[in-house]
Amino acid sequence: MRSVVRRLSGHLARGLAMIWVVMTLSFLIIRNIPGDPVRGQYEKLIEQGMSPDAAERSTAALYGFLPKGSLWSQYVDYLNGLIHGNLGQSLSTPGTGVATIIASAAKWTVLPVLGGTLLSFLLGVTLGVYAAIKRSGKLGDALSISGSLLHGVPQYVIALLVVAVFSTLWPILPSGGPVDIMFTPGFNGPYIASLIQHATLPVLTYALASYGGWILAMKSSVATVLGDDFIMAAELRGMSRGILFRYIARNAILPLFTILALSLGMLFGGAIFIESIFNYPGLGLLLVNSIGARDYALMGGTFLVLTVAIVVANIAADLLYAVIDPRVRKGEAA
Amino acid sequence: MTRTSAPGVRIDDLTVVYKTPAGELPALGGVSLSLAPGTITGIVGESGSGKSTLALSLLNAVQPPGRISGGTVEIDGLGNVVDLQGEELRRARGRQVGYVFQAAQNSLNPLKTVGKQLLDLGRSHDFDDLPALLKDARALLGRMGLDGGRVLDSYQHELSGGMRQRVGIMFALVLNAHLVVLDEPTTALDMITQASILRIVRDVHHERGLTTLIITHDMGVAAEVTDSLAVMYGGRVVEHGPTTEVLGAPRHPYTQGLIRAIPRLSGDIDEARALPGRPPTLGTIPKQGCVFRERCPIRIAVCDTVDPVPVTRDARTVACHAVGQPATPVTPKEFA
Amino acid sequence: MTVVEGMPATVTLRRNFWRGVGRVMRRKPSRMVGVGIVVLFVFMGIFGPLLYPDPLPRDDNALYASPSWAHPFGTDFEGTDVLALVVTGTRYVLLAGLTTAVITVALGTAIGLLAGFHRGRWDTVLMRLTDLQLTIPGLPLLLVLSTVWKFTSPVEMGVVLGLLGWGGIARAVRSQSLSLRERGFIEAAKGLGLSTRHIIGRELLPSMAPYIAMNMLIAVTGAIYAQVGLFFLGVLPFDANNWGVMLNLSVFGGGALSSTAALPYLLAPLLAILLLTLGIVLVVDAMDEIFNPRLREE
Repeated sequence: MRSVVRRLSGHLARGLAMIWVVMTLSFLIIRNIPGDPVRGQYEKLIEQGMSPDAAERSTAALYGFLPKGSLWSQYVDYLNGLIHGNLGQSLSTPGTGVATIIASAAKWTVLPVLGGTLLSFLLGVTLGVYAAIKRSGKLGDALSISGSLLHGVPQYVIALLVVAVFSTLWPILPSGGPVDIMFTPGFNGPYIASLIQHATLPVLTYALASYGGWILAMKSSVATVLGDDFIMAAELRGMSRGILFRYIARNAILPLFTILALSLGMLFGGAIFIESIFNYPGLGLLLVNSIGARDYALMGGTFLVLTVAIVVANIAADLLYAVIDPRVRKGEAA
Repeated sequence: MTRTSAPGVRIDDLTVVYKTPAGELPALGGVSLSLAPGTITGIVGESGSGKSTLALSLLNAVQPPGRISGGTVEIDGLGNVVDLQGEELRRARGRQVGYVFQAAQNSLNPLKTVGKQLLDLGRSHDFDDLPALLKDARALLGRMGLDGGRVLDSYQHELSGGMRQRVGIMFALVLNAHLVVLDEPTTALDMITQASILRIVRDVHHERGLTTLIITHDMGVAAEVTDSLAVMYGGRVVEHGPTTEVLGAPRHPYTQGLIRAIPRLSGDIDEARALPGRPPTLGTIPKQGCVFRERCPIRIAVCDTVDPVPVTRDARTVACHAVGQPATPVTPKEFA
Repeated sequence: MTVVEGMPATVTLRRNFWRGVGRVMRRKPSRMVGVGIVVLFVFMGIFGPLLYPDPLPRDDNALYASPSWAHPFGTDFEGTDVLALVVTGTRYVLLAGLTTAVITVALGTAIGLLAGFHRGRWDTVLMRLTDLQLTIPGLPLLLVLSTVWKFTSPVEMGVVLGLLGWGGIARAVRSQSLSLRERGFIEAAKGLGLSTRHIIGRELLPSMAPYIAMNMLIAVTGAIYAQVGLFFLGVLPFDANNWGVMLNLSVFGGGALSSTAALPYLLAPLLAILLLTLGIVLVVDAMDEIFNPRLREE
């Protein structure tokens, strides 16, 4: 148990360091954007007839630091605000906190990412076992090649092809937006049906984009386990096929769980393309739109949240590993 | 199904080939060997001589790219193992033939406790009385100087190398198999653990009335526990006979060389003489003639062309043209 | 293998190597196709812009024309031939990809070797840095960076992508050199009195070269995807002709996702990316087998 705590605290320290680096990066970028948006905002407010004091306060609420003072004091103000959970105000949606916007966007990212990843994980792992066992067969070869290809192709290519096939050439599913606006939001049949309809293609894309990676990872993991001495020993002891299969599967899938947790974190960042293509109002689209709208507080906040997602995923992966691997659980080296 | 007495084993003209880019190469070239019921037979030889392949053949478990291409392995109560397939073969493994793996330290599933794996084993072989199986296992482990209850609750990584080795032996014995094959059971263990494991093997062997085969490259181990000894070279059994006689008065030039190469504690180190040359590998085994001729001090012309037939004289089998000239006519049958 | 005389041994080794390459290629003809594809793209990258007039001719009477003999993939919103756009766009894509690869490999190898060879404090610091580089979400960071940096030339784009992508190679090279170290490789060389430079340059690097080369190919693909993706998202100014720009204009400008008219315009750059990926996957597959004899299935 003590070693788990030690590992965890190590991850936490590294995670916090990373969050700090990202905060600093965001600050430096916002400070150095050509045209100095912070200064610009302040001057704009003055022109609109606001008192310098009020303009200063309003600008600070927007970006997290005052448009004057030394670089260092601005930096301290900015960090201080973020640490207290104050991500600033959105410029493109006046009067709304960045945190609120991000929170409402997050659900559109989390659910499809989760659904698509779990789907592809199950599919890829099952087929990966098959590809490893039938390594030299035609079907095994085909599975491996399809895995390499899907793994190699970028997400946006898959997304665009999916849209081209399922909503342009053969229009059976909607290609954009999270839901039809003609239905009243709430827990009613048509609304939910429309939600699911709109989520199908994004989820399918997430699944296709990550499925190849799972096949390849599972295939190589199974191949490694098959070469382990204990599998041959179990075979020589006359263990039944079912038990042998479970030995192989459980040992092979173990390292993949860590990748699963990590990839969930990574996918939040990867959601950018898929959400842009499907016009799905999640965190990725939010980031792209905030840059387009020069809403830099929103941009910095979204970037920070995406980073935190990865840090959390890292820690979750480590915890998960400790739960399922007795070697880690009992405090030995993994 | 389970026999209650020691089975005899007759290996006849067993050939195992390995598929390589250079074609199929023989790892075992027509090996004939009998294990008398109730005896401990040792097989010695350098690495690459085919010892492990022979051991695996007893369970028809030669791993691809190798395969048994000819010959038979008759085990009393099982028939010809080479013909066994599928479920029949699986049930014979473990239940009839216990096998202690060469790397027994790594022979356990790292994610399950020893006890759980034992239950898996029981279920695989349709044991109804699982508590009795656990009890047997605890008793066996206790005999080997371990705390049975604790070991059954442990994961592999919580056991030392010597403990794992003993757990491996327990797995081979717990189903009451009467033929036990141990492939290098003491390699990688310290001298003290090695001695205690050998003692356990010998005790259990006598107590349960087993037929035991021990593969080793250590002449000391062979001398200590075996009743009869087979010497392998280049995929062939070159000499086989009672251990004391094979070691005391070796007839095959290879056996003589092997024994001369052992340094003695009490003797002069200079007396130990290494065999010249290197053992053949899969690719360098001569296609025809005697496999040992390149390193043989008593090579004669016929060795280049004719593979010597194992000839049995005074309960000793030797495959050598130079020493095999029988004084009296004998049938080319093998020592049993 | 004991190398008694230096020269003949290396010569036979080299001959054996090429024989191995030949065998691996023959065993799966698809790999020849992979090499062919990669060569085709390199050819397009070098000579593509020379094949067409600059600027590309526009045909005002044929906006979004369907595929025909004159325009195999139709035309775009200005009546420019889509195939010509793809071919001339290859240079930017490959140039940026190559720059990235060179930087990734150089940085990654240097950092990985330094960490693996020196171990100790250097190792800790460098690996923390590598961890950081690997965990910061790359694409969001690129987007955020695009607000201050406009990536006007392909080389500039490649440099930034390279600076953001060396972590994987660094980690791999480090673990390789650690494992070589564990096998007594370096200790033996040190024992023979060889200098550090000699050990790294003559012993470590050659044994890792195939590995690095494979990673380099993978880095090229990654860089190509990232830059095309950035242009596709439209966060960068469109100066040059580029597959990503084509994708962006067809999806967000041409409505390729809602009408079939602009579909060829969308599909052409997609096809180019898919084809290039296929080529590189096949080449990497072949390299994998050439350099890892254990993988050769019998």
